[in-house]
Formats: sequence, C-alpha cells, structure tokens
Amino acid sequence: MGQRPSKVKITRNDRAILQLKRSKDEIHKFAKRTDKLIASERVRLKAMIEEDPKHYKENLKIRFLLKRIHYQNHLLEQAGDQLINLENLVSTLEFKLVELQFVKGLEHGNEILSKLNKEFKGADQLMDNVQSQISYQNEINDVLARSVVGIDDFEEELDKELEQLEGEFIPKEEPQKEPQIQMPSTEGLSELKPTEQDSVEHIPEQVTEERTLA
Amino acid sequence: MSLPPIYSFPPLYTRQPNSIIRRQQISSWMDLILQYAKSHNAWSMSAEGSIVKEGTESVQESLFVNDEIQRSVPQIFINEIWSAMCQEGKAIGTDKGKRESPTYYVLWRTIDSWASLILQWCESAGKLQQVVTIYELSQGDESIGWEFHGMPEPLAAHCLKPLCQRHRATIVNDEYGKPVAVKVV
Repeated sequence: MGQRPSKVKITRNDRAILQLKRSKDEIHKFAKRTDKLIASERVRLKAMIEEDPKHYKENLKIRFLLKRIHYQNHLLEQAGDQLINLENLVSTLEFKLVELQFVKGLEHGNEILSKLNKEFKGADQLMDNVQSQISYQNEINDVLARSVVGIDDFEEELDKELEQLEGEFIPKEEPQKEPQIQMPSTEGLSELKPTEQDSVEHIPEQVTEERTLA
Repeated sequence: MSLPPIYSFPPLYTRQPNSIIRRQQISSWMDLILQYAKSHNAWSMSAEGSIVKEGTESVQESLFVNDEIQRSVPQIFINEIWSAMCQEGKAIGTDKGKRESPTYYVLWRTIDSWASLILQWCESAGKLQQVVTIYELSQGDESIGWEFHGMPEPLAAHCLKPLCQRHRATIVNDEYGKPVAVKVV
C-alpha cells in the first residue's frame, strides 16, 4: 500500500502496562522454575524411598525433602494467585483505556453537535425571510395576472352575451304543473270514539280475573 | 530423526575445490542444518554443530561429525558454511548478529516469515494496540502451540524488526537498551 502510517507510538499508559506485564513475566518465570524444581525433587524423593523402602519414614533427609516440596508448592500457589491478580489488573487497565476512549468520543461528538447547532442559529430569520419572499412572489404573480388588459371585463361581456343568446334561442318553457291526485278529505268527519274501544278491550280481562278467582 | 542419504555421502565432508560444486555442497549442508535444527526444535547451534538448549550445558554430538562413515567436517569449512548461512539469512550469530560467533540462531523460516507468523498470532490473540512483552510472546502461555513458542528472546526481538520497518510495530527497550516489549498495531 502506498500510504505510510506514522510510527507506532508508545504512550505513558503503555509504559505503565509494560511495567505490570514485566512483573507478571517474572512471576511466570518463577512459577515455571518452581514447577520444574518440584518435579525434580519428587523424582529424587521417589528414588530415595526406593533406596530405603523399610525405614524411609524415619529418614530425616526424606522428611526434609518432602517438607521442601510442600513449601515450594505453597509458594507456587501463591505465585499463581498473584499472577491472576496481575492479569486482572492488566485487563482492568486496558478496559479503562477503552472507557477513556469512549468518554473522549462522547466529548468530541458533543462538541461537533454544538458547533453544528450554532450553524442553525439564523434559522428563524432565514425562515421569515423565505416566507416574505414567497408572499412577495405571490404578489408579483397577482400583478402579472391582472396586467392582461381587460380580461375580467371581457369575461363579463361574454357572460352577458351568452345569457342573451339563451334568451333568444331557447324558448322559456313554463314548468308543467304535476296533476294533483284528489283524495277525499277527512274534514268534517266526526272523531273516533276511543271510549268504546277501551270498554271492548276491558272485557276479556275481567273474564280472566273471574277465572282465577274460580 | 533421519537425515537424507546425502548425509552418509563421504565427499560431502571434504571441502570441494571446484567452486560450483562447492556451492552445491554448501547448500546441501545448509539444508541439512535447517532440517536438523527443525526436527530437534532447536533454536541455536554452536559453531561446532551441536544443538544449544537453554539452561543445559550438555555437549551433544555434532552434526558435522558422522561416526557411521568416520567422517567429519574440518572447522575451517564449517565456518565457511556458517558464513554462507548468515549471508543467505538462514542463520544469525547470537553475538549481536556478527558473522563469526560461538553460537548461531538457525532460521528454518526466514526472518520475514517469522515476523508474519508473529503478526498473525497478535491478530488472532487480540494483542494489537497494546504492549506485549517479548517474554509473553515467546514463552508465555498464550503462544503455546505456535511455532515460535520457546524462541529465545533475542531472536524474537530480531524477528520483530521487519514489522517495525513496515511500521506495524515498535520495540520498547528497557533501561539498559535491551528490547523487552513490542507494540503491534
């Protein structure tokens, strides 16, 4: 590729992490060494026990060796714990750096956003201006439309003439009256007597009452 | 470990006077050395042709001595072979890259090839954009299973140089100027 990226920079954070990692390496080395030592001592212990299978329990040398192995094992465990601690610390640091980037990104974005918003400051005025321009444009349109000479009068004359023509050519027909159907009127008739109807209706009720009584 | 049949070919042990044949002879020796080192997983060999393993000072038999056919390469010719190896970038003197040194790193891959392998590891292990100690790179638990695991630290530092030249990495030195870490981008 043609581009030449700039040299990889080592920041102060990198140096700090490096220090951590170097101590981690030291512990790793120690763990490896101790591991080997324990393995070789176990081999020696085995050999010594095989040499003296009967009284090995009383053998001071063997006891001492076993103690040593236990002690080394203890150290190894401690080293392992410390190694894990350091590793955790390194990853925490790295994560913090990422977070820092995140915050920086936010800040930067905010800055750009406010800068962009500043650009919109004249928006109100701009919109007003546009509005007035549009109304001005409408005015111009009106003026231009009106300036065609006498167009309104001409229209009126046309209308008048058309009406006149209508009067001449189309004879005005009188609207035909629809023949009304003559119905016999109810006027003068006496009203129906509701009292008679009521008495008729009451009769069956009385019958039913009598039946229930019986 | 079996070496190719040419290893049992007596004329191979005598410096050939004809320059064309000698070149062929030296290149055969180079192949033998690379193969020998790779099969023994040895990073460095002494100038006498025996494998040097870290920590152990045991003197092993030399590649340049073949007891089976009662032949051995004279030291002067051995030096010539090493010098040719260094010239072709197949070996580096452990003593600050000098041509003549008591031990040599044997590169059964080229420096560039090691560099790209390391870069691959950095990419796949998520080691980009952060400092990685050379110990972590070559001896740490995370590189187990990669071909460069167990590589001596000075050699590893050397293998990182092509990455620096490609502006992919920077080597960090400690207070004594010894390379201790690398940051790969």
